[in-house]
Amino acid sequence: MHHRSSTLVRFAAGAGIAALVTACDAHPRTSSADSAAAASAASIIDDFGDTLSLGALPRRIVSLNPATTELFFALGAGERLVGRTHFDIYPVAAQAVPDLGNAIQPNVEAVLGARPDLVTLYASNSNRHAATRLRAAGVATLTLRIDHIADFRRSVGILGRVVGDTVRAHRVVDTVSGTLERVRATMAGTKRLSAFWKAWDSPVIAIGGGSFLSELVEIAGGRNIYGGDPRPAFDVTIEDVVRRDPDVVFAGPESGARMRAAPAWRALRAVREGRVLIIDTMLVGRPGVRLGEAAVSLARLLHPGSIP
Amino acid sequence: MTTRPGRAALWFVLAGAVLVAALGGLAIGPVRLTPVEVWNALGGRGDVTAVAIMRDIRAPRVVLAALVGAALAMSGAALQGTMRNPLAEPYLLGVSGGAAVGAVIAVAARAPFGFVPLGAFAGAVAAVLLVLAIARAGGRRPDPRVLLMAGVVVGAFANAVIMIALASAPADSVRNALWWMMGSVAGATWVQVGWFAVYGVTSAGALLLVAPEIDVLALGDDAAASLGVDVDRAGRRAYVIASLLAAATVATAGLVGFVGLVVPHLVRARAGRRHRGVIAAAGLAGAALLIAADLVARTLRTPSELPLGAVTALAGVPFFLIQLRRFR
Amino acid sequence: MIRFDDVVVRYPRATAPAVNGVSFDVPTETITAIVGPNGSGKSTLVRALLGRVMLERGDIYVDGKSAAQLDRRKLARRVAVVSQREEPAFPLTVRDYIALGRHPHTHLWSSVDPAGAAAIARAIEEAEVAAFVDRTTDELSGGEWQRVRIARALAQDASALVLDEPTTYLDIAHEMAVFELLDALARRDQAILVVSHQLNLVARFAHRVVLLHKGTVAAAGAPTDVMRGDVLERVYEWPLVVTRDPAVGAPALLPLRGRRKP
Repeated sequence: MHHRSSTLVRFAAGAGIAALVTACDAHPRTSSADSAAAASAASIIDDFGDTLSLGALPRRIVSLNPATTELFFALGAGERLVGRTHFDIYPVAAQAVPDLGNAIQPNVEAVLGARPDLVTLYASNSNRHAATRLRAAGVATLTLRIDHIADFRRSVGILGRVVGDTVRAHRVVDTVSGTLERVRATMAGTKRLSAFWKAWDSPVIAIGGGSFLSELVEIAGGRNIYGGDPRPAFDVTIEDVVRRDPDVVFAGPESGARMRAAPAWRALRAVREGRVLIIDTMLVGRPGVRLGEAAVSLARLLHPGSIP
Repeated sequence: MTTRPGRAALWFVLAGAVLVAALGGLAIGPVRLTPVEVWNALGGRGDVTAVAIMRDIRAPRVVLAALVGAALAMSGAALQGTMRNPLAEPYLLGVSGGAAVGAVIAVAARAPFGFVPLGAFAGAVAAVLLVLAIARAGGRRPDPRVLLMAGVVVGAFANAVIMIALASAPADSVRNALWWMMGSVAGATWVQVGWFAVYGVTSAGALLLVAPEIDVLALGDDAAASLGVDVDRAGRRAYVIASLLAAATVATAGLVGFVGLVVPHLVRARAGRRHRGVIAAAGLAGAALLIAADLVARTLRTPSELPLGAVTALAGVPFFLIQLRRFR
Repeated sequence: MIRFDDVVVRYPRATAPAVNGVSFDVPTETITAIVGPNGSGKSTLVRALLGRVMLERGDIYVDGKSAAQLDRRKLARRVAVVSQREEPAFPLTVRDYIALGRHPHTHLWSSVDPAGAAAIARAIEEAEVAAFVDRTTDELSGGEWQRVRIARALAQDASALVLDEPTTYLDIAHEMAVFELLDALARRDQAILVVSHQLNLVARFAHRVVLLHKGTVAAAGAPTDVMRGDVLERVYEWPLVVTRDPAVGAPALLPLRGRRKP
């Protein structure tokens, strides 16, 4: 029970961060095309526009970005991590890494105390100050925004170069892409169901087209009713959701239970028909190496038995 | 407008305003429904979705908005008379600060959903008691001015506590707390409405009962004393009833500002001046206004919703400026 | 009807008491006037009667009962007070304002007041405010407001009327009208206590005068006994001459041009 609620919290934190980010942020700075063009062999320009030179391989890495923590482990650089955020508990080995607090507005002093030579940050405007201070203290920073699946691919590539193992990075990308393509192909023939992804209850927050979750839904054979909105997440009224009449609803365990119990949500046909699909918040919580499995899980929820 | 027919007309106008606002609130929304469908859905007939929308989404919202608006306006009218201050309003006296502290603590402590309103109410009650204690500890008799100052001080203190709590809370708690503080009737359920109705009607009734005392208090301490009123006790009584009523609104709907301040002024000139009339008229006007404000909040920026507190503040400022000009 | 018995009132953090052992009676059917220089304790006595300040010593009796013991509403039904200054925070119609004078006679839960309408009507007539009874209190001149306040006190139907400086802002005609009203009320059986700076009017109309000086009674008695040149000069610290007015023979004060301070 405790584990359940804390995973919900962590997922919610991720979504909450996404939501808070929408409130605070301007548009993403760079597209994958830009940074690919701007990066030379010896340096990378990150999503804050800062340059990271790829000299020596970093030995002590603090990952303040939930997605990169997972990726570092996938790239075999897990033992070089000397710090993570409070919410990074995947893979299990990550839990042994010291917890340094928040991903948004991190505790710079605590981070410096771990004596890192590289810090990865989440590209939120609230983190600009931290990035500046870390750089002023001589620590290299790498700020990445991973909203879309394309961002994920690019970030894996960047991290591969950072840790000096581009081969492995390519393998990670290929594995994930392979799974995603397989899912997409399998689900292409099924009936496309419209879906509403409920990220938060109070206020009601919907996942929009700007989030990898929306892309996963599309890959899994669904259609996000808010997919036309470029934002990753934003608040909506219940009535607006009713107007769009989704076939199914994706929600976390607690969120879903509340939905079934609340009289107001019975206005949704999906709720009345019992089509509230409970997602595994740990699995789909972040755009990491398990994107492929995440897509599979969504496909199975949408059309049980479609993927063996 | 202080003649008999003038006053009767006022009640018709106000009741009509509430009715029109309620109809608008019920009939308008993202899902388009014809008036016939609205009527049927309210009665439980017709499309299941429409019925759910009308009965479980729009209707409780409209009713709760009406009750909260009425409660805030009545509380403000009573407090303005008691404190002899046209700028007095329920939130100025520490109630909103205390309620916000209670709610933020409940949110930050990750208490289950239902605890936030309880926390808010407990916080508000604590603030009221603290204000009374401060006013009494000042040594002097707790007259309305001292109550007012104590309220401002407690409110400021509460703000500081909130800032500290939010600064150390994780991001999702902050979002939750901020949303709550901006005021909303979005999640209105009939259970909420029921609780608030019981509590609100009782408190409002009490206010209307002590209204003649407020009339006398509004004349001044000496005049009130010479008319046989125990100024301190009567003042405290009115203050507590009005503040607890406001506390209940904060617990239910978050911080919805300006209603308690502006609506009494709107009706004062026409409602016959005695507080029984002013408070009752303010109640009707507040109900109509908040239903309308909620309608604006949920239709202006679809699919999203504006915070109710923001809409009332935005609308309240021009109203207030108009009143200021009349004050000359 | 009202009796002040060795009343001592000290304001907090004051070295000397504002009222230091004042005793006098306010009988029915008379006008008793309290006079004295600024700060001699006149208004403090009124506040003490209202219960707005605590008595350090002594007592105030109304109809033989201690005012402190009396329920406030009962006290208000016996004594009506018109204080020095009053400004309602929100404007009221004059009629509604006067009607508030019935508050001590009504309960919160029942507005039954059989004698009310008559009392209000009589108050309006006696105070001569019928002409503006439908205006609002913020639309009145100083003098009109003063009379409206007196009307409210009259509506209270009390047997004693206490007025603190009731003739401020009033022109000669209205000043006289107020004092003549007080006179008529006294004749009717009211006990009137009036604090006033208008020594000449006091001399004309009051039956008893109490002269306060620095919180104590410097002199008390009939106007002719109290309004004497030597006494008044000492108390007011200003040269003046007391003669008899040619109209009714009451003492008339004439202040002389002052001395220049060296």
